[in-house]
Amino acid sequence: MLETANRRPVAAAGGHGGRSWRMLVVDRRRQGQLVVEPSRRVLLAVVAAGGAGLAGCKGIAALGPVPGLPADVVTLNRAIAAEELMVASYAAAVAKLGAVTTAGGNSAFLQVVTAIHAQHQAHLGQLRRRLVLPPRSAASKLGHGRQLAAAMPDSQAGVLGVLTAAEHAAAARLTTELLSVPAALAQLMASIAASEAAHVVVLRRAGRA
Amino acid sequence: MTDASQKVAALQTALAAEHAASYGYGIIGAHLNGAALKVASADWVLHERARDALAKLITALGATPAPAAPAYQLPVAVTSAADAAKLAADLELQVVTAYVNLVAVADPGLRQLAATSMQNASVRAARWGGRSRAFPGLALEG
Repeated sequence: MLETANRRPVAAAGGHGGRSWRMLVVDRRRQGQLVVEPSRRVLLAVVAAGGAGLAGCKGIAALGPVPGLPADVVTLNRAIAAEELMVASYAAAVAKLGAVTTAGGNSAFLQVVTAIHAQHQAHLGQLRRRLVLPPRSAASKLGHGRQLAAAMPDSQAGVLGVLTAAEHAAAARLTTELLSVPAALAQLMASIAASEAAHVVVLRRAGRA
Repeated sequence: MTDASQKVAALQTALAAEHAASYGYGIIGAHLNGAALKVASADWVLHERARDALAKLITALGATPAPAAPAYQLPVAVTSAADAAKLAADLELQVVTAYVNLVAVADPGLRQLAATSMQNASVRAARWGGRSRAFPGLALEG
């Protein structure tokens, strides 16, 4: 669930039907959060739309489509989607290994996978906290393209292979994507990447035991 | 703080951790043998190379790299191979933390270096038996 902004908006920009348009202006570095805030173009569009509304209520559409989301918001949303997929993959692995363990498999490996599953849930929680969406903002543009976790192989070795490959890929992707985001988010992404890289070692050690 | 001074400060923090790790691995190796000693020796070299690279970066920014301390207070008293492995894991996690501020600089090259160094140190910590953490280097609950 995406957190919505509850800060008081601070800048009024025109009116329409007696109701003031208010633009959210937030320090993007505060608390390391990314706030989806209207761009200057949107601000101008809203001002113009207010005037147009007085003349005939043509509204914002008269100025063309609303600009896309900032690149760092898109990056963060992609990281959230990837972490959701990772959490789903680990949930599938825990379920599969539960069945394998019941049939005499390695319970220590299941414990490690369960613990790492919890760490990925923590990653996801922190990433989601960094994305603040004002009510009825560009939220509708986010959240598309979520992927389903791949089916887990029947063997412990197969599960190990899928999870280690996913951890490798996730760490590499974050290391590339953190180059273009604000500092606090880059630090979080670097920490998550470091955690994921270490997961490979921990998984392989448990898988061998 | 200017952009250059932020870079230098972050580089000095990372350098201090690499100095400490280089010192620590000298102790660690003395308590190991066989395959573990080979791994420790390789890790020691990696930290010395990182130390030298950071010193060059600081010099290139017109600052003076801080020298190593004559000795360091170790977080673990090392009397056995198990202690040595624990010290190695602790030192590596300190290195992870020391690079976090360097990730915050805007320079993409330094940010990449810092993120990669965090990953490598986190992997070494896990290999030495350090427990898995959700947010190595950050004060966040996992």
